[in-house]
Amino acid sequence: MASLERRTALPAPDLGSGSGAPARGRAAPHEFRLAQLPVYFLLLLGAVVSFTPFFYMISTSLMTLGETINRRLLPATPQWVNYQRAWTEADFALYFRNSVVITAVVIMGVLITCTLAGYAFARIEFPGREAIFMVLLSTLMIPGTVTFIPNFLMVRGDVIPWGSWINKLPALTVPFLSTAFIIFLFRQFFAGIPDELWDAARIDGAGHLRFLTAVVIPMSRPVMMTAALLTFVHTWNEFLWPLLVTTTPTWRPLGIGLYSFISEAGPETQLLMAGAVITILPIMVVYFFTQKQFTEGIATSGLKG
Amino acid sequence: MSARVVPERQRVARRTRREWLTGYAFVAPAVIVIGIFGLFPILYALYMSLYSWRVRKGPFIGMENYLRTVGDVRGAAAFFGGLLLVLVAHWLWTDAFRGGRRGTRLALQAAGALVLLGAGVSAALGWRLMRLHGDRAFLQGLVRTVFYGFGSVPVQIVLALVLASLLYQRIRGHEFFRMLYFLPYVTPAVAGAAVFRAIFSPRRDFLANTVLSWLHIPPQRWLFETKPVTEILFGGLLERLGIHASFSGFWAGPSLALVTIIVFGIWTYTGYNAVIFLAGLGNIPRELYEAAAIDGANGPQQFRFITVPLLSPVTFYLTVLGFIGTFQAFTQIYVMRQVAVRDAVDTASVVIFDTFYKRNNWSLAAAQSVVLFAIILILTLYQSRFFGRSALRG
Repeated sequence: MASLERRTALPAPDLGSGSGAPARGRAAPHEFRLAQLPVYFLLLLGAVVSFTPFFYMISTSLMTLGETINRRLLPATPQWVNYQRAWTEADFALYFRNSVVITAVVIMGVLITCTLAGYAFARIEFPGREAIFMVLLSTLMIPGTVTFIPNFLMVRGDVIPWGSWINKLPALTVPFLSTAFIIFLFRQFFAGIPDELWDAARIDGAGHLRFLTAVVIPMSRPVMMTAALLTFVHTWNEFLWPLLVTTTPTWRPLGIGLYSFISEAGPETQLLMAGAVITILPIMVVYFFTQKQFTEGIATSGLKG
Repeated sequence: MSARVVPERQRVARRTRREWLTGYAFVAPAVIVIGIFGLFPILYALYMSLYSWRVRKGPFIGMENYLRTVGDVRGAAAFFGGLLLVLVAHWLWTDAFRGGRRGTRLALQAAGALVLLGAGVSAALGWRLMRLHGDRAFLQGLVRTVFYGFGSVPVQIVLALVLASLLYQRIRGHEFFRMLYFLPYVTPAVAGAAVFRAIFSPRRDFLANTVLSWLHIPPQRWLFETKPVTEILFGGLLERLGIHASFSGFWAGPSLALVTIIVFGIWTYTGYNAVIFLAGLGNIPRELYEAAAIDGANGPQQFRFITVPLLSPVTFYLTVLGFIGTFQAFTQIYVMRQVAVRDAVDTASVVIFDTFYKRNNWSLAAAQSVVLFAIILILTLYQSRFFGRSALRG
């Protein structure tokens, strides 16, 4: 199921090899010139605007209640206890665990189903292959606004009688266990693997599954990483769907926990901001360490949100 | 792009069948999941929309939900027909440039312009008819979605283009800036929106109002403000001139509350767009700039006559993607809306959610979502038509 926030995949202009790194030719590399001062000024301005909400969030999360009301810029002494309170009193420990479990299950599922499907669409001949692929791809154009109502009935067990999944793990994971976009991504990559490798494996008596696990997957680490990252961001940031299917805290993920906190926390802004930091932090850490792959993966995938 | 084909060899029939079965087994898990949760819902949404369905399924009522949503059949036909005519106009126009004698070319261009005009008139008239009897909340939501799109997408694009072309110069800290700009995009929208709620607090000494006070502008109520921005910007001035203008209707523009949410949208997506632009910039051949420099073109001229035209496919892509995104935007609006402003910020997807969740009218919500889907589909058609590529580069 496409998430509501995900922007429909469209034919992206060919962004091909352009990684966005400045090409050779203009000024000498990293040579600071006075004429570039306005450039730096504008870039810094952009960076400040980009970062201000984060600064505000972190700074407020470390304040006392009094400081949040009197609007200090920085806390006098950092109140780390806010995090402890958010973690225990406001149940963020539970929400965090839920988010981690949900995201891990979805990433595993997506990698397994999409690797298999991507491989079959790229390298196994069977009748109806192209047609099935096109039908799957067409789901990328369907907005989450359309699918969420029927899917709600689906996970309640109204359509297929498998019992209600509301407030249970499957409601938050099963609909997301495969997405056409990642299949598309894998198919592109797997199709580029030389046929000679397959012929050699064949001679050694390997079947498709052996070839896939022993040769193709080890070769495909970068694209797998990109797929895992994209799935991670989408699942972690999902909002509308978990809002619908979690009415109790049992399997409520961080985003919904934070949202319910907005209405309940009242004036305790510092706790809210600590909660926001807890929600954002894992994404930031992953982003920080896989920045290049992350940015380029998303930039070339032609997907938004 | 065509998939690599397994080299054709002589195979016994049994072996081929085995191969087929392997193929089907490999795609089965994905097909089942996507089939149930991605494809089937479309059919089921259509099915639901034909019934009276408030939590429980009621009697079959045919097109009544659609009639309630769009108000007037002829109006809806004129509106959607108008949107589709834009495609015809574009086809005539581009065809005109595909050779032919000068006379025919001129005729085709004129026809294209005429069709475009007709498309506009048809869509506008259709819309007026729809407004008379249609579902007010939903249609008003569409208007707000259009505000949201026109308020955020062009600004995002322009800012992103500026940032990208600045970043593209050889500068120190390229990676650092790129990382910072991209940060808002990967931030969970709930968390970002929660912070914006605090920054744009109506209280005097919170961040947004503090910045205004530096500029000697009185504090605003931001997310709590239902007055249209035009009234806030020009109302006082006109009052002083002795003109009592009434600020209502479409041309008064969005409320300040919606504009605040638009600011959030700009903050989120500018960096993303900049990264895509950077990738596009990397694809422009260096030689063009060198040749232009030899011919004496300066920086701004190079930007105007090389960068902008060669980036136009990327720009168009980001624009359509941005608009489709605004038609689906939900989280930030849902989180940032204040009870006090009632429906002032509810865009179409929020209205659909409320029809489902609050009004409990599931079939009406389904019908509304189908109408919204039709609009998004037309936007997608624009994209593939103007791009001249198959819709799904499969």
